[in-house]
Amino acid sequence: MKMRLNKRSIWQAACLLAMVLLMPLMQAQAAIDGVTGNTFNLTAKADYIITPDSNSILMWGYALNNGTMQYPGPTMIVNQGDTVTINLTNNAAMPQNVSIIFPGQTDVTATGGAIGIMTREAVPGGGVVTYTFVAAEPGTYTYYSGTSPELQIEMGLVGVIIVRPAGYNAVTNRIAYNSADTAYDYEYLFFISEIDPRIHAAVATGNRTADNAAFFPVYWFLNGRAAPDTMLDAFVPWLPTQPYNCMPRTRPGDKLLLRLVGGGRDMHPYHEHGNHTRTIAKDGRILKGPANEDLSSLDFTTTVIPGSTRDALFEWTGADIGWDVYGAIDTACIDTGAVLGSIANDGLDDNTGLPCHDTTCTDVSPADGFDDATKEYCSDHGKPFPVTLPSQQAIMNGQFYSGSPFLGTMGSLPPGEGGFNPNSGFLFMWHSHNEKEITNNDIFPGGMLTMMIIEPPSVLLSKP
Amino acid sequence: MTMKRIYIKRKTGSENKMKEAFIGLFICLTLIFLVGMADQAGAEVFTQCPPDTDGIDTDGDGDADNDNVCVHLSAGDGFVTMADGKPLYIFGFGDMDGFADADIMTNGMLAAEFAAPTIRVREGQRLYITLSNAGMAMRPDLFDPHTVHFHGYGNAAPIFDGEPMGSFAIKMGFSLTYFYNINAPGTYMYHCHVEATEHMQMGMLGNLYVLPKQNMTMAGKFVYNDGDGTTAYDREYPIQMQAFDPIFHDKSLTIQPLPFALLKDTYPMLNGRGYPDTVNPLALPVPMDGGVPLNNGTQSQKVSALIEANTGDQVLLRISSLSTIEYFTLSSLGIPMRVVGQGARISRGTDGTDLSYMTSSVTLGGGESTDVILDTAGIAPGTYFLYTTNLNHLSNDTEDYGGMMTEIIIHPGGTLPPQAL
Repeated sequence: MKMRLNKRSIWQAACLLAMVLLMPLMQAQAAIDGVTGNTFNLTAKADYIITPDSNSILMWGYALNNGTMQYPGPTMIVNQGDTVTINLTNNAAMPQNVSIIFPGQTDVTATGGAIGIMTREAVPGGGVVTYTFVAAEPGTYTYYSGTSPELQIEMGLVGVIIVRPAGYNAVTNRIAYNSADTAYDYEYLFFISEIDPRIHAAVATGNRTADNAAFFPVYWFLNGRAAPDTMLDAFVPWLPTQPYNCMPRTRPGDKLLLRLVGGGRDMHPYHEHGNHTRTIAKDGRILKGPANEDLSSLDFTTTVIPGSTRDALFEWTGADIGWDVYGAIDTACIDTGAVLGSIANDGLDDNTGLPCHDTTCTDVSPADGFDDATKEYCSDHGKPFPVTLPSQQAIMNGQFYSGSPFLGTMGSLPPGEGGFNPNSGFLFMWHSHNEKEITNNDIFPGGMLTMMIIEPPSVLLSKP
Repeated sequence: MTMKRIYIKRKTGSENKMKEAFIGLFICLTLIFLVGMADQAGAEVFTQCPPDTDGIDTDGDGDADNDNVCVHLSAGDGFVTMADGKPLYIFGFGDMDGFADADIMTNGMLAAEFAAPTIRVREGQRLYITLSNAGMAMRPDLFDPHTVHFHGYGNAAPIFDGEPMGSFAIKMGFSLTYFYNINAPGTYMYHCHVEATEHMQMGMLGNLYVLPKQNMTMAGKFVYNDGDGTTAYDREYPIQMQAFDPIFHDKSLTIQPLPFALLKDTYPMLNGRGYPDTVNPLALPVPMDGGVPLNNGTQSQKVSALIEANTGDQVLLRISSLSTIEYFTLSSLGIPMRVVGQGARISRGTDGTDLSYMTSSVTLGGGESTDVILDTAGIAPGTYFLYTTNLNHLSNDTEDYGGMMTEIIIHPGGTLPPQAL
């Protein structure tokens, strides 16, 4: 009894300590999780990933330093102009040569290792190969194995490189490319892939000539996780080989940058509920013509192509919806910043600090039709809700429903329903619209699916 | 042995008692449910279609009092006929316009249409879609809720988005009214978003088109408010790509576990039909099963895919895909295509740069749409083809020469009367 208590308290203390130690680290990585710098040491390793239907699947992947293998590989974030060096070690347990190729980069030099077909390769048992290139152009890129890519990319030897533009500043100038119209508030990675577990099972039993032609995927992933795991925190300890999550959050009028990367073999129509996205770049090149003409376009579904990347901007305001998305005007609401310590026009009552919707919609600077602070669409301010909603007995509530049609308002819900929406945001599904792909090997729902959150204006989101 | 038999007998006896009790309870519950339904029948189906009283002509047609438009859909099940003659069980939407609330539940049963009734509205109108869940007549074990997802509506709110996790879905026997301020022209879709893989594979898919305000201010018909007439057209046709897996549908009808992982479409279609049914200009005949009419004798496949024009016409194809598994490429043989829009937005950059382009094929995944204008200037009268170049899908299951294909019939100039829409 005593011993058990001791063990538990030690475990608890260790856990707490780990949390305290990891906290600042996680915050520092809160933009897109990954590693910054210009020299990266990767190790190719074998390990298992876990799918939400409790399957575990053998993968080969890139580990940072000599750490845990991860799927996808570490997201390497570098700056334009950097000379990037990647040292790849082939772990002793790997049965094949491995390598890395860098689509979209030019003048990549490879040294060490053995000669391969596409590049130099690291041999099993600790072989090392070094790749060097200058990250000449900003953008979103992928990297993957150039050795037996028909098998090794399926097995997980694939990842993402983000090149920050020369003018980028994490605080004052968050841009995707060297152009002011690529500015954003938040950025999220959508590494999109699928696997056929039969190939992995064949590899696990020593059959290295798995039938790639009979490829028939039954798992689909966002950043290496299948839903609902996509919506867990990043770096949860029970998914050690799948550190990255995919849970985008934004606010009205803020700009969300999607970095979409095709990491498997199939094309996927990624449908963004809520509003259109504007594709601003393909394969790490901004969509501008020779005279700087804008070649970007709007769509409600983005085709993500294997080995290819897309950057897209998403913004939501609820404009012109024809009713006030913040609900009825509360004449008792004071939101003028009159009380010491309160903020004017932040959607919170100056006295109580609770969300409230005052009589004003202040559109002075910029005079763009939207409230200067909350980005409320002023023409809809005070417009009544257009229909009568059904009674509770007539509806099946979703777990992300706040109980109210209004942004930032919590409504009453029957016990056990809703609840996964602490700020009463608007939650929209972002998913593959080839709907078969939102399943986990025969189980619906799952797969290539997550929920994007429009948080009310009063919620502060960090912009690291 | 004897002991075992006695034991089994005993168990069977108690099971029977259980069964009797269960049946009694079931009858009791059904009666209570029916009494309850009868009691509130009028109140459960609830059409909301408020009159336009704002005195403002928001759609620009010169009438200030006609800007509210209302659609009433039922959600339920029914049957369709594949082009090889096989009847397939579907879930779908039915057209309930014109029925009194009290009659919707009875008329909504087995009223599923595929493709779902096309919704056409004009920019500036306010659209009220009432959805009444009539239940699955062939699957009394199912109590599935349903929704309408207006696919592509910009700056949406979850309450009217129809994605049930972010808001809610309507249960069997009840109605829900969606509201949309129609503010952007283009080719949209709608579909049910409940258990999306299942309900969409089962057929709850339809077209939703928004016509631009420019039609009111410039002579002619346009896809978008282009300002310069570059999206003008003479005739328009719906082309929605869909595909069914008959095994999935048969398992649904016979109450078997649904094979999500093994889903494989073998009936590729345009507007709910495989070739040669695509070129039938009429609604397809009532689905039959061994000489017995299904769907209470009503027709369920009303959208033709036949394209007809006069030489010289600009022909708008509103192409969308609600395939649930694959990408499809659709090719036009002999008539050039001009792509002028995608995702219900004109093909232009933020600075107005023209991004429209000429091609002979378009590729769409599920949930994508594109606006294609066929330029028939100088095209000789005759029959042309619009077909998928995913050649294995030129088939109706095991029957070859069919599937995702239709005909474009070009008539001599001036012979076909103007299109009435």
